[in-house]
Parts: sequence; structure tokens; C-alpha cells
Amino acid sequence: MSTRDQDERIELLQGTLDLLILRTLQLGPMHGHAIAKAIEFRSDDVLQVEQGSLYPALHRLIKRSWISAEEGTSENNRRAKFYRLTAKGRKQLAVETNKWDALAGAIARILRPSGQEGES
Amino acid sequence: MRLRKRMLNDLEQDIRDHIEHETQDNIDRGMSPEQARYAALRKFGNVTRIQEQTREVWSVLWLEQLLQDVRFGVRTLFRSPGLTIAAVLAIALGIGINVGVFSVLNGAALRLLPVPNAKQLVSVNQIFRGNSPRNVHGEGSMFSYAEYLDYRDHAHVFSGLAAYEPFAEATLSGNSIQQLLGTLVSCNYFDVLNEHPAQGRGFLDSDCAASGENSVVVISDSLWKSRFAADPALVGKSITLNRTAYTVVGIASPGFTGTEPIPGEFWAPVTMDKAFESGRDRLADDNMSWLSLLGRTPPGISMDQIRADLAVIAARIDKLHPGRTTSLSIRTATFFNSPDERSFLIPVASVILAAFALVLLIACANVANLLLARASVRGREIALRLSIGASRGRLVRQLLTESLLLSLAGGILGSLIAFWSTVKITQFVTAHLPHGFPTFTVNVAPNMPVLFYALLLTLVTGFAFGLVPALQSSRLDLNSILKGEGSHSGSGKRSGRLLLNTLVGSQVAVCMVLLLAAGLLLRGLYYAQTVNPGFDEKNMAQAFFDLSSQGYDEAHATAFVQRLRERIQALPGVVAVAQAECAPLSHDFSAGTFAVSGRPDKVSVEYNHVSSEFFSVVGIPIVRGRSFAPGETRDFPGIIVTESTAQQLWPNQDPLGKTLREDSGRQDFVVGVAKDAQISHLGERTTTYLYFPGPSDDGRTYLLVRYATTFTAIADGIRKASQSIDHDISVDPIPFEDNLEIWRAPSRVAAALAGALGALALLLASIGVYGMVSYSVSRCVREIGIRMALGANSGNVVRLVLWQAMRPVLIGVLAGIALCAGVSQVLSSMLFGVSAHDPIAFIAVPIFLLSIALIASYIPARRAMQVDPIVALRCE
Repeated sequence: MSTRDQDERIELLQGTLDLLILRTLQLGPMHGHAIAKAIEFRSDDVLQVEQGSLYPALHRLIKRSWISAEEGTSENNRRAKFYRLTAKGRKQLAVETNKWDALAGAIARILRPSGQEGES
Repeated sequence: MRLRKRMLNDLEQDIRDHIEHETQDNIDRGMSPEQARYAALRKFGNVTRIQEQTREVWSVLWLEQLLQDVRFGVRTLFRSPGLTIAAVLAIALGIGINVGVFSVLNGAALRLLPVPNAKQLVSVNQIFRGNSPRNVHGEGSMFSYAEYLDYRDHAHVFSGLAAYEPFAEATLSGNSIQQLLGTLVSCNYFDVLNEHPAQGRGFLDSDCAASGENSVVVISDSLWKSRFAADPALVGKSITLNRTAYTVVGIASPGFTGTEPIPGEFWAPVTMDKAFESGRDRLADDNMSWLSLLGRTPPGISMDQIRADLAVIAARIDKLHPGRTTSLSIRTATFFNSPDERSFLIPVASVILAAFALVLLIACANVANLLLARASVRGREIALRLSIGASRGRLVRQLLTESLLLSLAGGILGSLIAFWSTVKITQFVTAHLPHGFPTFTVNVAPNMPVLFYALLLTLVTGFAFGLVPALQSSRLDLNSILKGEGSHSGSGKRSGRLLLNTLVGSQVAVCMVLLLAAGLLLRGLYYAQTVNPGFDEKNMAQAFFDLSSQGYDEAHATAFVQRLRERIQALPGVVAVAQAECAPLSHDFSAGTFAVSGRPDKVSVEYNHVSSEFFSVVGIPIVRGRSFAPGETRDFPGIIVTESTAQQLWPNQDPLGKTLREDSGRQDFVVGVAKDAQISHLGERTTTYLYFPGPSDDGRTYLLVRYATTFTAIADGIRKASQSIDHDISVDPIPFEDNLEIWRAPSRVAAALAGALGALALLLASIGVYGMVSYSVSRCVREIGIRMALGANSGNVVRLVLWQAMRPVLIGVLAGIALCAGVSQVLSSMLFGVSAHDPIAFIAVPIFLLSIALIASYIPARRAMQVDPIVALRCE
């Protein structure tokens, strides 16, 4: 069955989504919709966040206390919940970014091997 | 958790905001409001599922799995109701029995005294070491009055220290005579206990100011109701105890019966002691143990502080008694405090608890067996779950949950039955004690320790019987089982078989121990019923008089007894009357040390003062010399020794004319030798025993009346004769045989207990054997089929099955015999001379058990005989 495949895909997305949320919140506290918008905008709409999965991810990050939630007023003067990066989350962002760089670098090396291998 | 709740509450609002934002964005992009909303919802996804996923982030996984397991377990158990009921009943039986016994022991030994803040009460006992003589009236660990005053006045750790003499006997006279048991107390007794009489008052310090002058009394609620018809004006009136008028100053609150297991009916100041124990001045004897001590500690005082503080006083008192060191035993007060009582109670209690735990063990093993058998049937289910990825730990947890559910159901059922039945049984037992057994109160109602014990037992049981089968059945060979071979290839699985055999073997072993104990006790009891104690216990009545407590001096007492004997002698049907200081087997003993000419050491000898008719009335033959003559009384320096005493003191010599010197210096010479008899202990010929002539000097005397009519007529006659001389003397004649009955009662109870337990154990064990055999037969059907197809006849097959079944049984029997032989010495005091390794019991009982086991395994083994090889093989 495909359950397992799906599981793995969600797993992958989750990890990435967490990283993206953390990075986005580095700019300052935001409410949920703004986070989704920011990710889409900053990726030139390449990354279409399935907006629903944003909320489980946000709650997971709160549980790990990488971000915190607080009441605030949105740009159009409505009450909304704002998410803010915590000190712990800032550290985690650095760790995750390094990991991601390493991973992306490694994958890139495999997909586009540099000269020697291709020539031999 | 609070955080979690808040987050989830806000979630809905959050999502709504999000969708509104998105809708607004879409409108800004030029969509119609309706389109914009749909687009936003589409983009967001399934709102309910998102909420669910978010909730999962916060949920506690193990708790949900547990609930899942419980639900699944309940469903599984309901699916096989027969097995569930059998298992629950087996566990209920085991746990119920244990909880019942524990609540009795708890009531007797662990429960605190029934007074306010009982935790603050400590009891103090002395343990003496060294060689210093001490007078004892009660237990050796008690205190003298002077010692009590010393501790009371110099201890810093008590807010109050009370002393009491637990057993003061008194005759209450008035319209009718009644013998009462009461307590002599220091005048702060009720204050220290914080247990104030319901009417009137407790004692004042002034009540104890002078010796023998304040005749005031507090009586129990039950006495007030039974004897004085709950007279509301009784306080202030006077009642007569031991011919002395006492003013009733208070009536104790209902249910308060004092601080001893045997309920007291009145309380009098300790300074009135002389009115209860005339002839002795116990208050003035600084070296006499007769008072129990209870102290109340203010909060914040530790046991160590109490010990340290009291040890200083003990050391100071020791200086007055050279060669003696006292250590103090201090403990939170219960109904059983003295070191002597506890050193008896604790081993007895542990033997009883162990016996009952053994039955529980058998019940557990049985349930484990049932579960094992079922696990093999469930093999497919378990294999399936393992193969689609359930972890082994998860499966074990699931199976353990099921067994814990079973044990909880059994434990609750068993405990409820136990709580109800122990109360009833205790009432029944205390109402049917043999004559002369002291009545005692045990509060067996469940309290926290009992509930805790029941819970602990239930959990341990659940784990004990669940763990092994759970581990066993989750370790499966998936391949063969899923292919459908598993359910028939059981005979090949050595480990499963070994486990079953061990379970059955240990059941049989435990059962063997209990049955052997019952067998030994029954043998002892049979012996005690049929033993010739060395005298003729039939057709004899016994009446006890304590004249000194009735205010008689020695001369009056002698005259009273003389007149009474004449009147009894004149009753129709009376053959003869004799008088003794201690009636045989009456639990009254006297012992002293004597110097024997020609021997360096002193010998300890039990003795009795008897009248000249004693030997002929009781039926003990004089084998050498003569009995006492009618005129020979206490002043006559002759004694009669028993045969074995003579043999021990003067081996191979003529004992007649030999002398013994008493501690007082008086010389006595032997005038006769009496045949050995079991005078002081049933089943034991006391090795050194001698008789002095005449009544003793303390006014305590037994009249032994041999009669040729019925006991009731004689008892009536004795009562009337006594009252015609002195109306205020209480007398309660009993059949002399009752003395033997009191000796037999404990072993009768123990035998009944061990027998009942043994029968239960036997039932459980034979169910176990039956289950094991039918299980293995059902798993060996193919093997049997093949054997029969190859020419084995049904006899061969049955023999094979039986041999396989009886092997663990035999091993269990042998282990049980060895175990019982190791511990049966504990019972020796109840065996009346039957050896703790009595061959008859040790041969007959195992044979009995083996035949039961054989029957239990033969019944299912017959099924093997009926296996049709064609059917068995076609089944594949």
C-alpha cells in the first residue's frame, strides 16, 4: 500500500516546512496567514505551502518551544495570534540551516558530479 | 497540559482568521466574494483533518494506546466468556483468601488502638539481660509501680504516660453474681488515651493519691447496658466489686473496651490494687513486672528521641539492680505490644500468610496455564499482528493489559467477598470458642492497609500470571503458524512444554505442602483425641475458686472449702471430691527450683498441691510408696514424685526417702512415686513434676468432683452448695474434659484451616493437571494419529500420554515432600507428640495426591484413545 510512501513524503515536507517557518519568523513575529504568504512570496511562488499543514507544524514547534504564540493585532486591526521565534528556536534555526546546507550540497554533488567522474 | 488546552481552544479561531485573510487577498485579486472563499478553503485543505492533525501534536500517545489496549482486552475477554469466568474465579479465590487472612492479621497486629490520634501513642516494654531475679505477674517485660512513676516523672518526651494492669478479675455482686474482667489504670489513663467517658468523668489525680482509699470505677458501655439496663442515673451510685462498694464515676463511650485484645468491662484506679490481688502488695514491690505502659508523644518527637530519653532513666534504674541491664522496646501502640506476644504472633502470622500465598500461587499458575493454552489458539492472531509490523513490546503490553484486567476483576470480586465474609466468619468463630477460651475482639473491617494490600496483591498477581505467557506467545515462528502448521506441531516446542510442566509441577508441590501439613495436624489431632493422658478425664466436673480476691483470709478459705466439699460429697451421684492447686491440663502452672542431695546444680521442677484423694479421684496410680494420708497438709514435709522425675533425679536408686531442699531451706522427703501423666501439657509427659500435700496458701483452688450421674445435675448441685454457704461467691463448674478441649482447639482450627486450604489447592492443582493433559492431547492429535496408524494400540497411547503428564506431577510431589519436611517443625507444638516427620502422613498423603492427579490426567487422556487415525491425518 501507499501509506508508507505518503508517510515518508509528509515526513520530508514537515522537516522542511519547520525550517522554512523558523527562517520566516526570523524577520519578526507574524500570524499564520502571513507566514504562508511570506514563504510563497519569498520562494517566488515555487513552493506552494499546503496551508493546512502549516498549523500542525506551528503547534509542533510551540511544543518544542522553538517558537511562542501571543495575542496581537494584525495590519487591518483585527485580533490575531502572532508567532515569534524564541532564543531556543534561533539556535535550532542555525543548526537546521547548517544541516540543510550539508544535505543540499551532498545531493547536488551526486546529481551534478564535478569533472573527473564524468571524464573517466 | 494547560498550555495544550489553550492552544487547542484558539486553533479554530486561528484557522478562521487564516481563511478570512486568504479570502480577503483573493477579493483583492479581483475574485467575487464567493469564489474567493471557495478558493481559500480549497487552498487550505480539509479543516477537520487539519484540526485533528494539530491535536495529535499535543496528545499523549501511551495513554491513548493504553485505552486502546483496555478496550481491545475487554472485547477479547468477552469473546471467550468461559475462560474469562474461570480465570476471574480462580483469581478471586486466591486474592479473596489472602485479603481475608490479611484483614484478620491486620486487625490483630497492625491496627492502631481505637482512640483519637492513635499514631501518637507508643507502648514501652523492658527487656532484661543479666542475672537478676524479678517477680513477674503478667509478662516479664512489664513495669513495677515505682518504675512507672520514675518514667512518668522524669521522661521529657511524653505529654502523658499511663500505666495499667490489663487483667484484674472481680466478682460483681448484687441481684446476681457476675465474674468481670477489668483493668486497673493510672489515673491519667483516659486523659493519655484522649478517650473520655461518655457519661460522668474519668479519673482525677486525687483518685490515685492514696493506696486503697478511692473506690471509684468507670464501667464499660456494654456492662452498663447489659447489667444495669442503661440506667441513666447510674453515675454516682455504688456497685459492689469483690465485696467492696465502688462509686461509679463514669461510663465509657460505646465501643471502647480498653487497650487489650480481650475487652475490659470496668476500670479502677491502680491504687485500689489490693482489693483485687489481696495477699500481695504489688504497688510496693519495686521489682515486680505487672504494669503495661502507654505514652502519648506531642507531635514532632521522633522514636529516636524517645529511645534516647528513656534509656537514661533505664540506665539509672539498672544501677539499683546489680548485674542487670535493661533495654527498652518502644513501638507505636497496637493491641499486641509486648515482645513476648510479638515473637509468638509474627512467626505464626508469617506461616499463615505463606500458606495462603501458596494457594494464590496455585491459582496464578492455573490462570497462566489457561492463558498459555489460549495463546496457542490465538497464535494466528498474534502472528498476523507481528507480521504487519506490531512491535513485540507493544504486543506484550497488550497481553499484559488483558491479564491485568483479569486480575483486577478477580481482585475486586475476591476482596469484596473477603471483606464481607471475614466479618461474618470472625463473628462466628468468636461466638463458638470452647468454654474457657478468652473472648477477644478483632476489628477485621477493611482499612487503608488492607485496601493497599489487596491492590498490591492484585497487581502482582496480574503481572505474575500474565508476564510469562505474554513473553512466550509473542515469540512465535511466524512462518509455520501462518501456513497453518502451528496449531498441530506443538509437541515439538520444547520451551512451551517445559514451561507448562514447571507450572504444573510447582502447583503440585505447593499442594503437597499444604496437604501434608493438614495430614500431620489431623494425625496429631487424632492422637490428642485418643491419647491416654495418664488419668481418667471422663465423668469429672471441675470448679475453680479464687477466694483471696473475695476477701477471704486463709483460715476462712480453708473453712469454706471444707464445708463446700462436705456438701458436694453429700450430693446424690457424687463418687469422690478432690482438691488441687492446679487442675491437670488447666493451663495453670507452678514451678520452683530445688536442691537435690548429691547434685551440685538446682533442678527446676513443676509442682502441685493436692489433697489426699487427688490420685484416686483423678485416676493416677501410685506405683511405689503411698499416697498422702487425709491428715497430711501443707506442713507435712512429704512429697510424691512422678516416675520419670525419680528416674531423672535418682537414676537406678530407690527414690523413697530421698530428699529435696526448697529455696526456703525446707527439706521434703519422697513418700511415694506416681505414674507419669500429662498433667501440664497435653501430649507431653512433664519430665520433672512433684506433688505437695494439702491446699496451697493463696486461696486459689480447684475442686475435682467424680460423679456417676450427669454433668448438669452435678454442676447445678455444686453451684447451689456454694451459694448456700456464701451467696456472693461466683462459681462456674465445667466438665473436666473441656480442659483437654482447650488444648485441642488450636490444632483443630489449624487442621481445619490447612485441610480446607489443602482441599482448595488440590482442586486447583487437579484442574491444572487436567488442563495440561487435555491441552497436550489436543496438540498431539497428529502424533497420536501417526502412532496409531503405525500400529500402536490405544493402551500404548494412553500410557505415553499419562507418563508425560505424571512426570511433572511426580517431580512436584517430591519437591513438596522435601519442602514440607523442611518446615514441618513449625507445627510441632500442635502435634501432641506425633513426629513432625510422621511416616504415616508422609506416605499416605503423597499416595492420595498422586491418585487424584492420575484420575485428573486419565480423564482427558482417554480422549487420546479415541483418536481416529484417519480423521487425525485427514485434518491436515
